[in-house]
Amino acid sequence: MANPAAAIEHHGHTPTTTGLDHRKVAIWAFIGSECMLFASLISTYLIYKGRSVTGPFPHEVCSPPVCDHVMKPILNIPVTSVSTFVLLMSSLAMVLALAAVENADKPKHSLSEKILGSSKLWLFMTALLGTTFLGFQAFEFTSFVHEGLTIRTNLFGSSFFTLTGFHGAHVTAGVLWLVTLLAIDIRRGLKPKDAVIVDIAALYWHFVDVVWIAIFTLVYLIH
Amino acid sequence: MATTAAAPPYVATREASNTGLWSWITTVDHKRIGALYLVTALIFFLIGGIEAEIIRLQLMQPNGTVVSAYTYNELFTMHGTTMIFLAVMPLSAAFFNFLVPLQIGARDVAFPRLNAFSYWVFLFGGLFINASWLLHAAPDGGWFGYAPLTTMQFNPGLNIDFWVLGIQILGVSSLAAAFNFITTIINMRAPGMQLMRMPMFTWMAFIVQFLLILAFPVITIALVFLQFDRFFGTQFYELAAGADPLLWQHLFWIFGHPEVYILILPAFGLVSEVLPTFSGKPLFGYPVMVYSGMLIAFLGFGVWAHHMFAVGMGPIADSVFGVTTLLIGIPTGVKIFNWIFTMWGGNVRFTVAAKFAIALIALFTIGGISGVMHASPPADLQQTDSYFVVAHFHYVLFGGSMMGIFAGIYYYYPKITGRLMSEKLGNWHFWLTFIGMNLTFFPMHFSGLAGMPRRIYRYDAGQGFTTYNEISSWGAYILAVATLFFVWNFVRSRKRGAVAGHNPWNAPSLEWSIPSPPPDYNYAVIPTVSSRYPLWDHKGAVVEFHEGEPIKTARELGIPMPFPTIKPLFTALFMTLMFTGLLFIHKNNWPMAYTFMFGGAAGMVASLYSWLLSPLE
Amino acid sequence: MAPQSRLRRRSLAALTAVLAVLLAACAPAHPNSIFHSHTDFNREVDHLWTLLIGLGSVVFVFVETLLLITLIKFRKREGQPAPAQTHGNTRMEIAWTAIPALILAVIAVPTVRTIFRTEAPAAADALQVTVIGHQWWWEFQYPQYGITTANELYLPIGRTVNFTLKTADVIHSFWVPELGGKRDLVSNHTNYLWFTPDSVGDDVFNGFCAEYCGMSHANMRFKVFTVKPGEFADWAKHEAEPAAALDTAAKPAAPAGKPAMPAVQVAQAAPSTESFVSFPRKDIPAYAVPQTPLPAGLTFDRSLVGDPVAGAKLVQQPTTMCMACHAIKGNPMMQGVLGPNLTHVASRTTIAGGLYPNDKEHLELWIKNARVMKPGVLMYTLGAGEIDPATGKPTEMGKLTDQQIADIVAYLQTLK
Repeated sequence: MANPAAAIEHHGHTPTTTGLDHRKVAIWAFIGSECMLFASLISTYLIYKGRSVTGPFPHEVCSPPVCDHVMKPILNIPVTSVSTFVLLMSSLAMVLALAAVENADKPKHSLSEKILGSSKLWLFMTALLGTTFLGFQAFEFTSFVHEGLTIRTNLFGSSFFTLTGFHGAHVTAGVLWLVTLLAIDIRRGLKPKDAVIVDIAALYWHFVDVVWIAIFTLVYLIH
Repeated sequence: MATTAAAPPYVATREASNTGLWSWITTVDHKRIGALYLVTALIFFLIGGIEAEIIRLQLMQPNGTVVSAYTYNELFTMHGTTMIFLAVMPLSAAFFNFLVPLQIGARDVAFPRLNAFSYWVFLFGGLFINASWLLHAAPDGGWFGYAPLTTMQFNPGLNIDFWVLGIQILGVSSLAAAFNFITTIINMRAPGMQLMRMPMFTWMAFIVQFLLILAFPVITIALVFLQFDRFFGTQFYELAAGADPLLWQHLFWIFGHPEVYILILPAFGLVSEVLPTFSGKPLFGYPVMVYSGMLIAFLGFGVWAHHMFAVGMGPIADSVFGVTTLLIGIPTGVKIFNWIFTMWGGNVRFTVAAKFAIALIALFTIGGISGVMHASPPADLQQTDSYFVVAHFHYVLFGGSMMGIFAGIYYYYPKITGRLMSEKLGNWHFWLTFIGMNLTFFPMHFSGLAGMPRRIYRYDAGQGFTTYNEISSWGAYILAVATLFFVWNFVRSRKRGAVAGHNPWNAPSLEWSIPSPPPDYNYAVIPTVSSRYPLWDHKGAVVEFHEGEPIKTARELGIPMPFPTIKPLFTALFMTLMFTGLLFIHKNNWPMAYTFMFGGAAGMVASLYSWLLSPLE
Repeated sequence: MAPQSRLRRRSLAALTAVLAVLLAACAPAHPNSIFHSHTDFNREVDHLWTLLIGLGSVVFVFVETLLLITLIKFRKREGQPAPAQTHGNTRMEIAWTAIPALILAVIAVPTVRTIFRTEAPAAADALQVTVIGHQWWWEFQYPQYGITTANELYLPIGRTVNFTLKTADVIHSFWVPELGGKRDLVSNHTNYLWFTPDSVGDDVFNGFCAEYCGMSHANMRFKVFTVKPGEFADWAKHEAEPAAALDTAAKPAAPAGKPAMPAVQVAQAAPSTESFVSFPRKDIPAYAVPQTPLPAGLTFDRSLVGDPVAGAKLVQQPTTMCMACHAIKGNPMMQGVLGPNLTHVASRTTIAGGLYPNDKEHLELWIKNARVMKPGVLMYTLGAGEIDPATGKPTEMGKLTDQQIADIVAYLQTLK
């Protein structure tokens, strides 16, 4: 979080009280704080569920006189299931990227070992899958706007776009972080001593992923 | 000697310059950042005090005409906002910064540059929110900013914009600092400094950081909703859209009640340092003090709705929140008795620091008792939003937090500056504060019970409020005089105070083993601790400084020091500019809005990258 | 250090004395005290208060005495040996955990009982009053009687009144300290509060808005008149009807050629002289008469004599703006709902949310420039040439001459 480059240059294991790197402790504290952030957003969404005075609604048809014309339920669960799968796969790629950095010094013999051991490939894959997820979100947002739901339309629109938008912003930050790591990797190669900077990025990435599982379940799946 | 910290091994290629404005602007030294916090927060404390004095002038007589209704509403909003976010919280942060690394035997915090960033964000946030005065558009929605009064429909001016954005900026500062201190305390303790050997102040600081990281995101989200409503037309608090204004209240108080403990626990910690020293006796019931602090913090998250007994939550919710609130009285009472019994059997030295600490016990007790009165919802319906509540929380915040902080300032001033504050001026300060504070706030219990509502810029004659308000105002003027003594003492002692020596109070904890002021590396040799009171027990490997001994530089000792850097300041500055851009939206000045928002964002990202990619040392 | 601790004791003693004197001196002059219990609600709360103050005082005296004894007994003296390094005492610590817990339990039980009693549904035959908060005045409706009035409540003694609390805008809080605890008026919510004013004679109580609600929060007051049931019945009957007819016969007819305005419609029944129409002004105690000073710089030609008939016509001309906000029962032109209902405005004792007495002088100035009289008020500045403080420019609204205002006031004063 604080200082990847410094850690890149010095990998001395000066003891800390817990034996953990400072950044690892800090990222856990940060994740704890983020839990409260998303808990507030998700609770607001749930509190406002069903309170909108006008459509479109997430799971229900809105018909006159509540809406000017009949509006179909707006959430597209099949499409979002695909994007959820993409995000889940990105976590897998993240795991492989971290393993690759941790084992960067080990000799690789077979092609599969070389593929599995390529941190550049898996960092790239993680960022790519993250970007794909963002693409899905952009598609979803635009189609909602075309169907008449914006952040200003009703309580559902405000709380939905703010919640998923906050999550999307977190994914975006994560993609930037991954791209930065990838750039470092390309420039001079990430070595096992750098594992911690990939590790904290991975913790953040998995967290963002888990939050999406919660959002997908509570917003999309539960009526 | 290797540091215990995870600081990577590095070479002291450069040494921080220790003088000049530039050295302060670029410092990453936790002690200097602590001093910056202290001085800045005291200035904001004076500003908040001036606001309070004008309020008291206005209320001194019925139908006061000193200020207009509009100005009065700005004043009480800014008084509360300033005292909470710009005075008491950063004063606590000053002590976290200065003391926590010293008390755990570390050379700095875990992330020194993040620490500098926290300070600059705090400073810019404080300046941002106070800049509203220049436009005569200071926040006027109360420090609690209840929607829908704070929405565009009911408050279309810039006032609330300044407040929303200012609190967001300050939240970034508090959160960044909290991650830093959690990491520091978990990870940078000297050998042998087990958790249950940590000084009580560090313990309370530790607990407060958890409150901060768990409570601030909630207010951040409540403010995001308000901000989006005001700037982007969302409907979170839009009545016509079916919004529920209680959403704001719940989110605000889920933050707001832990915030109360964020304000008081550091003071409890300071008092727990001061009393053992001046009693010559260890803290009574150390483990119970730790657990009660944790319990207060834990329960603090389960009582928020006691601020909302009048909103009509129904009998079940009222009962639950009433009873959980009563429960908090138990750990708090335990602390009071443990402090008294710390002194019991001791040789109590009545220094100014000790007097302020004792005053905390005496006055916080009063605030605690009236707090128990609010915990009974039917009785609270006659107290809430009346002056009785104003009396209560000033006994807690002034009688508690500020008394503890004053105790801490008198106690640690010699460690920070190397010189003692004057006890004579300090006694004037103490007695005038003690008398003025009781004269100001005790009558407010009566004006509240006599039916005086809060936040009114005027009251009519013949209502039974006049005498109490007159006394309160005289008390406030005495407090103003007391504060002048303090300011004079604080400024004067910097150069003319008696030289303190490394341990002027014969205190037991680690920070008193090193010179005053401490060298930039803190500990030439990282101590090894084997008791809670190393300088009394003479156990463990703690090298105590001997007066007159030469103090070597970090370079001579081969201790690597972090480079000074201005990058955190730039990051903070650009972030503030980014928020400033939003203000122009309501002036329909889109070129300026975009310039500030995107320019600020770009500058922030650029300085952040530059900061993160440059080596620490 | 001994002199300082003596000084401390002396100041404490002095402080206590000052406070005691204060209490004694001010005791009778508390017209809004929460301890003057005139309702079942307040008596319930009073029991809790007795407990809270009693236990609180015991704890206060105990802790502060213990603290003082400690300070006196264990202050540092010369030649004293170093104190014993005790670290704690489990038994004592258990004691001061358990005893406060016990005290709090003693508070908790009656607290919960009182919560359920005071928040139970009101009796079915209760008098229903709907309270609607506005920035910054109070609308009171009696749905059982078809009454809408403002800022002054009449309650029959001995009958439970159930308030339905709503707000037209931001959050307000309904509070009559002498009659009951406060309850918020929350936007998009409906709250309830009931009590029975059962131990009072004909009396007046001050009410306040207790939740900060913007610029004139301090100026959002109201009055409660408790009256005998018979008087209440009279008042309600009178209040439900339009005000008495103007005696237009003696006046010259309205100029011809202006037929657009319908004639002022009036009710048939004039109140009988014996019936209770409003709380007698002479019986209103001083604390219930507002003493708000007039803002400087506002003038009115007091020599003018108003013509109520002309005034009656003026209020229903769109150009005067009156009809935009105000309603007068029986006049189909006057159906505004944004401002207080003026049907019986002359029978009320105050105007402007309890800020000023309801008399000719105040009404004239109020109509001329309400925004100077009450900061932030929605009502327009209507006097010709008057500066509207909201814009800083001469008003565009109403532009009434002093004579026109005097006429309107003369008409309003007939609305008894």
